[in-house]
Amino acid sequence: MTADSHALATTGEHTPLAGLAHDTRGGISNVVLGMLLFITSEVMFFAGLFAAYFNTRASNHPWPPDEFAHILNPFSIILVATIILISSSFTCQLAVWAIRRSDRTGFLRNIAITFVLGVVFLLLQAYDYSLLFEEGMTLGSGPFGTTYFTLTGFHGAHVFGGVIMLGVVLYRGMSGQFSSRHHDAVEAASLYWHFVDVVWILLFSILYFL
Amino acid sequence: MATHALSPAAQAYSRGTLYDWLTTTDHKKIGIMYVINSFIFFLVGGVLALVVRTELAQPGLQYLTNEHVYNEMFTMHATLMIFVFVIPMLAGLGNYAVPLMIGAPDMAFPRINALSLWMLPLGGLLLISSFFTGGSAAAGWTSYPPLSAEGPLNSPGAGQDLWIVALVLIGTSSILGGINFLVTIFKMRAPGMTLFRMPIMVWTILVTSVLVVMATPVITSALVMLFIDRNYGGHFFDPFQGGSAVLYQNIFWFYSHPAVYVMVLPAMGVVSEVLPVFSRKPLFGYKAFIFATAGIGALGFSVWAHHMFTTGAVFLPFFSLLTFLIAVPTGVKMFNWVFTLFRGQLTFSTPLVFALGFLTMFLIGGINGAFSASVPVDFALHDTYWVVAHLHYVLFGGSVFGIFAGIYYWFPKWTGRMLNEGLGHLQFWLMFIGFNLTFFPMHMLGIQGMPRRIADYASDAGWNDWNLAATIGGFLIASSMLPFIWNVFISLRNGKVAGDDPWEGNTLEWATTSPPPPYNFDHLPEIRSERPLFDARHGHAGHAGH
Amino acid sequence: MSSTPRKRPAPDALVAGIVVVILIALVAAVFLSGAGSTLYPPDAVTSEAREIRGLYDIVFAFAVAIFLVVEALIVWSVLRYRRRPTDVELPVQTHGNNLVEVIWTVVPTAIVLFLFVISWNTLNNVDAVSNEPDVRVHAIAGQFAWQFEYLDESGNKVATQLAPAYDAETGVGGMAVPVGRSIQVTLDSPDVIHAFYVPRFLFKRDVVPGQTNRFEFTVDEDEAGQVFRGQCAELCGTGHRQMLFNVIALSPADYETWLAALVERSNATPAPLPSGPVLNVTAKNIAFDTTAVEVPADAPFGIAFSNDDPPGILHDVDIRDAGGTVVANQDTIDGGTSANYSYGPLAAAQYTFFCSIHANMTGTLTAK
Repeated sequence: MTADSHALATTGEHTPLAGLAHDTRGGISNVVLGMLLFITSEVMFFAGLFAAYFNTRASNHPWPPDEFAHILNPFSIILVATIILISSSFTCQLAVWAIRRSDRTGFLRNIAITFVLGVVFLLLQAYDYSLLFEEGMTLGSGPFGTTYFTLTGFHGAHVFGGVIMLGVVLYRGMSGQFSSRHHDAVEAASLYWHFVDVVWILLFSILYFL
Repeated sequence: MATHALSPAAQAYSRGTLYDWLTTTDHKKIGIMYVINSFIFFLVGGVLALVVRTELAQPGLQYLTNEHVYNEMFTMHATLMIFVFVIPMLAGLGNYAVPLMIGAPDMAFPRINALSLWMLPLGGLLLISSFFTGGSAAAGWTSYPPLSAEGPLNSPGAGQDLWIVALVLIGTSSILGGINFLVTIFKMRAPGMTLFRMPIMVWTILVTSVLVVMATPVITSALVMLFIDRNYGGHFFDPFQGGSAVLYQNIFWFYSHPAVYVMVLPAMGVVSEVLPVFSRKPLFGYKAFIFATAGIGALGFSVWAHHMFTTGAVFLPFFSLLTFLIAVPTGVKMFNWVFTLFRGQLTFSTPLVFALGFLTMFLIGGINGAFSASVPVDFALHDTYWVVAHLHYVLFGGSVFGIFAGIYYWFPKWTGRMLNEGLGHLQFWLMFIGFNLTFFPMHMLGIQGMPRRIADYASDAGWNDWNLAATIGGFLIASSMLPFIWNVFISLRNGKVAGDDPWEGNTLEWATTSPPPPYNFDHLPEIRSERPLFDARHGHAGHAGH
Repeated sequence: MSSTPRKRPAPDALVAGIVVVILIALVAAVFLSGAGSTLYPPDAVTSEAREIRGLYDIVFAFAVAIFLVVEALIVWSVLRYRRRPTDVELPVQTHGNNLVEVIWTVVPTAIVLFLFVISWNTLNNVDAVSNEPDVRVHAIAGQFAWQFEYLDESGNKVATQLAPAYDAETGVGGMAVPVGRSIQVTLDSPDVIHAFYVPRFLFKRDVVPGQTNRFEFTVDEDEAGQVFRGQCAELCGTGHRQMLFNVIALSPADYETWLAALVERSNATPAPLPSGPVLNVTAKNIAFDTTAVEVPADAPFGIAFSNDDPPGILHDVDIRDAGGTVVANQDTIDGGTSANYSYGPLAAAQYTFFCSIHANMTGTLTAK
């Protein structure tokens, strides 16, 4: 058996790929590739929802309907939430860079901050929802209510999944399971977190500005 | 060909306690369980079809006096066959074969592989449970709103909701499987196995997995939106509240059209493995075949609205043109297969016989589909029994025959035993004759005006004889399952020992024991073409000839 | 498996041969018995259908040709290239042939492009709608009955046909149209998706709620007096198979007479309340508001019936006896309307009153 081509590289290599568990043939790690494919599937899920949104919006005038026009004010709590989520992507990337250069302290700190920012985003979103419910806007409030809550709701669910992912990464990081050479889960979680952020930027722009 | 002597002996590798099987992450055991689960639901779906055919054998409602029950029968027949039989069965064949064919020790994510597997019996049980909780979904497997939404004459009750939840679960299983296949194929090929030396089965699973990962989430979104409409007062598809019934159809078919390629491409992969082995020639036009497969995958995303030609809401010329164009790569593949046989040396073992059944029947399915690509002709044929004929010629005449070719081909590898040839041929002929007797008359029923999904028909419409013929054919198909099940039973206990390579195969799975050890390979032959085992067996003779 | 091929002749060739012979015999029998006509679409009766039929025949010719060529290749290969005991050496390991592969890519592309172009051309003719059709019909498909509104040039309703199926005995019912004139049909639904399908027209169009579809046809002049079957072709619920209708082709003069009679019936003052006891029955949400009524035996009675469902949902109140025989068959009425139904005397017994369109709407009627 030609054994050598299957050996994991254990000697240090100072390339952008350093730290990703890989065999000497190089390339993207299985876990990261798997996560990218998973993100692709999630993008397609949101594509279906967005298609429904655009189709619904094109057939209903005025949009937004008069009774809800004011809720689409971007300069509200939603803007705060957006800034928080975007910041959390920065801290997440800082964490990835940190672990790549073996800075465990920096990695843990930044992951923890990202985690907290993620939770804050969810709380702000929940608060925003409570304001809308008070105004009488629900999933059943015509096509506008249905599309708004479905899109933001599924985004929020994905943020929640991401927060759990970050929590697991934080826990594993605190138990010392990551090093500069072996931290696939961190790379994967950060890719997912960036995806969740990009979807929000798109959502926010489309719902509130377009 | 040397038979590997491993310890413990090969047979032992397919045994194991119940606990082993329930907790395994070995792709081989998982693949076998995929096949078993799928086959069970094939039988259940088949029984539902027999109920439908029994009612339609003669005009007049004889057995299902409540048409709602009839609607449940054909809805669940199609749903089970598509989502819990064909798609997972092919995923199961792939699960077993792909890592072996690329020289890998397992799939990239073995635990996720197990998760994907176990979501399937769960999803299937959820679907069946709806029969016991007030009735299953009854709006067709396509489940168009408003009929599938709330309303006294529509789909009140839990059945439709259970259907939605089960499909989301099964879809998730499918997506995870697709991701697993893609990472495995891209990252875990043995040295020397470049992409253009992979077996066609692996290529078809690759393209299928791209379709699964990109299209399945879209139907998840449609199902989720339908669920919101049904249960949370949503208005996505309610035309009287600002929604659109046609919107659902667009999103639904955006998945469901690529889904038909998910259901047929791996079966084409099986045929592309079987024909070369039993003709003793390479697959004609291997590279063109790969490009044709990729082309079908890509084009498959652009034709969804050909299921909606009669809605009056579709840009007809675009979808008609692209639908016609898909016939070109499909034809390329058909010719490639035929010219693999041509000037070969054919041995009519059961796998080849089923592969030939695929060729002859899928051809008819492809041809009668071309009628529907022509929009004005589709105005006559849509929603009639012509479409039922078409879909069964491609999915049964194509996929099911391909699936059985794969089962007969790989059963020796899975179990170390050969299936009995005589019983295999008996199954084939019963199935082939029954299949044609059932579905060919449906062409006539369709063009004579018999719509789909009707529990009964007028006795003076001229449809009686063909319906009776179709029912007889259906029972003939059912009878073909008896020799098959008997064959599996006796072969497991007493079948001829297979050895590593009973068929003189071309691909790597035959370079190890039957069944393989948990780690698959003790050593791998040199990989310098798409037929590494053939090369090892024949040296440079394999490169003679153009 | 060793490299030496099997020596005994496989039984497959025999079975295959028998199957082929049986198939040929079957096909011949079908053709000779006259059932062969079912292999073709029914004869076209509209000018659009004739175009579609012409297109179908061309596609069919290509289909048969391709089928025969490819199947012949397969059958030939299967018969000619069976491995013989003398075949120990490998056959020539042909990997491909560029010329042949190019040919079988280019030729099918040309064929499908041709089929697309002729289809598109036919489509433009079939789908054409004019601004000034001769007759305008507004077809409403509800669960589970059709109704046809006849409109004037401005689109105003002049008559409503609530009996979509033609009854040969009474001569009542159906959507009558004059031959040789352009008939424009608009389609609407108050509930779910249906489809307007007439097999002899080789045509169907979905009825999509929230969207008004429109198509046109002209029945051939020599079809005057013919009655054509029509049926809903999009699953719409439990009553899907019952949504039948007929299109009746009449000479223009007969059509005018027919329409005038329908206009009169549509505008007729509703029947007065009958003498004798009168029950009040309402239909709403596809249900009667009562499931048990009593009437005196052997005396005429009436039902003041109100259909409170939305327009497009038809109901009536028919009566059948314990044996299932229908003893009273009333005309259906549209949602949002009411009618006074008169019934003849019933012998003392238990009966069932029911809506002829919605099988779940039943109740007991006791005559005593």
